[in-house]
Amino acid sequence: MGKRVGIVGAAVTPFKGRWVEKTYYELAQWATADALKDAGISPNEVDGAFYAIYNDIFERTCIPEHPLQGILGLQNKFGIRITNGGATGAYTMSAAHAYVAAGRFDVVLVLGVEKATDCFDFQSMSATPEVIKSIGWSGDSFFEQKLGWTAADSYAEVILAYKDEHPDDLKPEISAAISSQLSMQVRTNPYAQRQFDQVTPEEVLNSRVVAYPFKELEICVYSEGAAALVMAEEETAKAISRNTGQPVVWITGLGEANEHSFAGKNQKVMHRILSDHLAAQRAYKMAGIKSPIDEIDIVELHDAFVPQLEVTMAEMGFVPLGRADSLIEDGIMTPGGKLSVNPCGGLIYCGHAVGASNIMSAWSARSELIKQGKRRALVHGTGSTVAQYTAALILSQE
Amino acid sequence: MTTINKVKKVIPDEAIPEVGTKIVNRDGQDYLLVNDAMFTFYQRSMGEFTPFFLGMRDERKILGCRCTKCGIVRVPPLATRCPDCNFAPTELVEVGDVGKMLSTPPITYFASSLFQEQVPSGRGRIVLEGADTALSVNFYTTKGILVPGIVNRGTEMKVVFKDQRVGDITDIFCVPASELTSEQVARKGLLVSEIDWESAAEPDLPQQGPNDRGRFASALAGLRALAGEMNQCERAREDIADWKRNVHVKTAGGQMTMTIDNGDLTFEPGLVGDPDFVAVCADPMVLQEGLAYKGSLTQAMMERRLWISRNPEFTTIFKLERMARSLARSKKV
Ligand SMILES: [Zn+2]
Repeated sequence: MGKRVGIVGAAVTPFKGRWVEKTYYELAQWATADALKDAGISPNEVDGAFYAIYNDIFERTCIPEHPLQGILGLQNKFGIRITNGGATGAYTMSAAHAYVAAGRFDVVLVLGVEKATDCFDFQSMSATPEVIKSIGWSGDSFFEQKLGWTAADSYAEVILAYKDEHPDDLKPEISAAISSQLSMQVRTNPYAQRQFDQVTPEEVLNSRVVAYPFKELEICVYSEGAAALVMAEEETAKAISRNTGQPVVWITGLGEANEHSFAGKNQKVMHRILSDHLAAQRAYKMAGIKSPIDEIDIVELHDAFVPQLEVTMAEMGFVPLGRADSLIEDGIMTPGGKLSVNPCGGLIYCGHAVGASNIMSAWSARSELIKQGKRRALVHGTGSTVAQYTAALILSQE
Repeated sequence: MTTINKVKKVIPDEAIPEVGTKIVNRDGQDYLLVNDAMFTFYQRSMGEFTPFFLGMRDERKILGCRCTKCGIVRVPPLATRCPDCNFAPTELVEVGDVGKMLSTPPITYFASSLFQEQVPSGRGRIVLEGADTALSVNFYTTKGILVPGIVNRGTEMKVVFKDQRVGDITDIFCVPASELTSEQVARKGLLVSEIDWESAAEPDLPQQGPNDRGRFASALAGLRALAGEMNQCERAREDIADWKRNVHVKTAGGQMTMTIDNGDLTFEPGLVGDPDFVAVCADPMVLQEGLAYKGSLTQAMMERRLWISRNPEFTTIFKLERMARSLARSKKV
């Protein structure tokens, strides 16, 4: 099983649609400095770094992490970059946990950073079409890229197939209600890209279709920013905690799964996100969770699209498949309900700085556990084509 | 094999920016932006997929791979060994060019910069006759603009081959079999040129009714008021920065010209100047509600209440919708 691993420090930079004032070097250093400060330690006490950077094209360089090692004060130490599509951040936390649990290191830095919107389309004189194009290079390069495969397709196909199976679920007014609720929750997150962008369910329903079936106000927004965690093995974590006065938030469960990227017999089941299901089940098993809805208080979930948030919640066992609308209809995630889902506003309102996103979610989950005095949180990351990759973590406070 | 008449560039010329820089100001400080690109050219190996692509290009047929042990037929022929049978060898087999959609496919309205010309575009997965797995394909309707509901799970589709084929996956696409004659569906290797495509002619406007002129005047006044507010809204101005368009708008009650000029939006009665594109909407309120953020222009296009003469100008429609949202947002804060 290995050593216990805890989170003892965390920080995020503000997430913004564009940071013309800062390069990714500066964003990375900023989040790192703040996370180490939160843990009350200096770079000398860090044994190595785990970099979550999704896309070389965004950063406009290959091996984008190499300039960071030195400026983060980690010269001549261990450093490794993880890239796993949208689930990059969650997978990077998983990797960091494994090294610490194995006893290789006592204290590590987990750093996610992304600068997505330097990509620019000079034909439409706007960033988004070029950002989408750069993500489009992730589609299968022999058979799919040239068909205009997009990141939205990853989830649009799954959601439409789910609707084929469950035509009465995922009602537009429910996803509109969820989006509106997330926009209210983001108000308390000063680092969010859309902290003051509150929308009504009607506005969500009236917003334009960007990629059928998704509307603009139920889609995550591309962000630039960084997020960092300090993870430590048990004894070191306790010592740091005594010093800072902040409780350790332990990582008590992890699970990951990657599906087939082509569909049909023996391959991807298009109406499922089995990766979410399997990763969550594995994380629950490791954490000893039998009934997630009764044993988990806070969910920080990778909400690329609101209908995907709903299906992911069903796949992770909080509501039955085909009854995802009960998240709202039965008050499960409405204010005062059993679960607090994406108190930070999620990727839709806080923003999606891809490699940093899931780490931002963990930052929020940790601070909400401490602030609310709750016991358990689930952090989730999804990514790759056809919603193929998932990594999930259980965070616990004693 | 057919030959290619027009020389196409790997990177379209119009997508390539000039060498240059820009200064933007944030909180009194200047920051530098540099026009740039990361580009690499390839002479890419198609390796074991060569028969698949040459089969489409030269013989108008589609190949899959069949496991010699379990018999599963995978299209595209992804693997020379079956991962489900401890890597038993597979063999190439021809499959049909008619099939059914695996699930209801998405339709892209806001495309990446490489595909602006093609929107709205459909991409889904077809399980061809004789195959067990699904092949990603683009699909179109022969009946004008693509909207949700035409192609669903289980819809029977026919593969159509382009007349000029280059040996890549875009040599084929699909159309609903129900839009073709039974003879066309049965014909092997059906070509694009063998299908009747409904031309995208400018739609006729209904006869002018008694209220149409009043409705036009009211919509024009409303649009001018909105444009006045947008021109005062920094975020809305940013949405059409560096963008210039002249748009002729035709409605049942009258015609107007919409001008976008690097941050400024104006409306005037009548058709003035040389248009970049034409927009037709019987009811001018469609446009006014779209800009007032009370309805979606994209939705109106999907429901055929709004028509534009050039597909790539979806970009302009999106910019207008973004302005509508920017103005609505600015009013709340
Ligand atoms: Zn087999």
